[in-house]
Amino acid sequence: MRCAGAAPLLGSLPGELDPTEEALLRAHLSTCPSCQARQADLQALSGLVQEGLLVEAARRDLSGLADGVMARIPASAWRGAPTGPIGQLLSFLRRHRILAAASALAPALAALALYLYIGRTAGPGPAGLAIEVTSEDLAAIVLETSDGPVILVGESSEGT
Amino acid sequence: MAPSDIELVERARNGEPEAFRDLVVRHQRRVYAVALGIVKDRDLAWDVAQEVFVRVHQHLSECRDGAAFMTWLRRITARVAIDVLRKERPSRRSDVADVPEAVLREAAPGVLATALGTDPQETVLRRELSGRLTEALGQLPETHRAILVLREMDGLSYEELAERLSIPKGTVMSRLFHARKKMQVLLAGYAGIDAPGGGSP
Repeated sequence: MRCAGAAPLLGSLPGELDPTEEALLRAHLSTCPSCQARQADLQALSGLVQEGLLVEAARRDLSGLADGVMARIPASAWRGAPTGPIGQLLSFLRRHRILAAASALAPALAALALYLYIGRTAGPGPAGLAIEVTSEDLAAIVLETSDGPVILVGESSEGT
Repeated sequence: MAPSDIELVERARNGEPEAFRDLVVRHQRRVYAVALGIVKDRDLAWDVAQEVFVRVHQHLSECRDGAAFMTWLRRITARVAIDVLRKERPSRRSDVADVPEAVLREAAPGVLATALGTDPQETVLRRELSGRLTEALGQLPETHRAILVLREMDGLSYEELAERLSIPKGTVMSRLFHARKKMQVLLAGYAGIDAPGGGSP
């Protein structure tokens, strides 16, 4: 292989050349100082294009770009989603998933609080007393068992 | 923790404009940089970047996984920038200043590697050259500019470049070589490096 044939193969990514090309290039590089130097130039310049363009892009204030994009998207494109208070609530819950998870436990916590309240004010109730608390489509039942209170959390049976 | 690309895509698909805006803000710098490298005009690059995100929004339903999102975004960026370049070509042809072949022959290989070192770490000279990179890119013919930017920014393989630019793989390799060679000559000139046996452009 001569320099004219080897030069375009320089700067290839690993595995990009076929095995024959790779072997020929390796053999040529081992004996050609000029192509070794060309290879070194490519390595020295590696990443420079990326660095330069990103530096240039950082110099420009791009804060208005997103506004321009949003202005070009018709309002009707966002119609698929629920709007108004429900849409806002869903959007809020999607963004704050921890709060959403905590709210799902609310019926269980309410049931526990109620159980403790009744236990303190009315004394021990009969064994097997069940208190059911529901919220939206979740329900919690507190069962008084011989081993102590047990809280069952599940979907409400209403409407099913 | 910041939501992933695919989470933002999903929320935007469900009709949340703010999620889509976040996606634009997250990727706008890179998209603008690629566009600038290809079309070389700052205002045109701005238009390209906006058009890219409008198209992304139009096809959001087609994006189903996060890893594919970046590939998809890069593909749209390259397509829009190259389309714009092709449309603009007749009025901008005179802007292209090719590096004379004689200069290529004079530039000795290895001079940049000697000046910069082979380790691409931050050096004063490297910073200086990086600052003049767009100027150097602007002097390349548009075909060389596009191929170099797509290779260096997006790491596209020879096959991907051939597909994206609709040219044979051999042409990709040859164009890339010439594009890099011209960049080296131009940057050596900016750096004031005298090539042994010749001179800077």
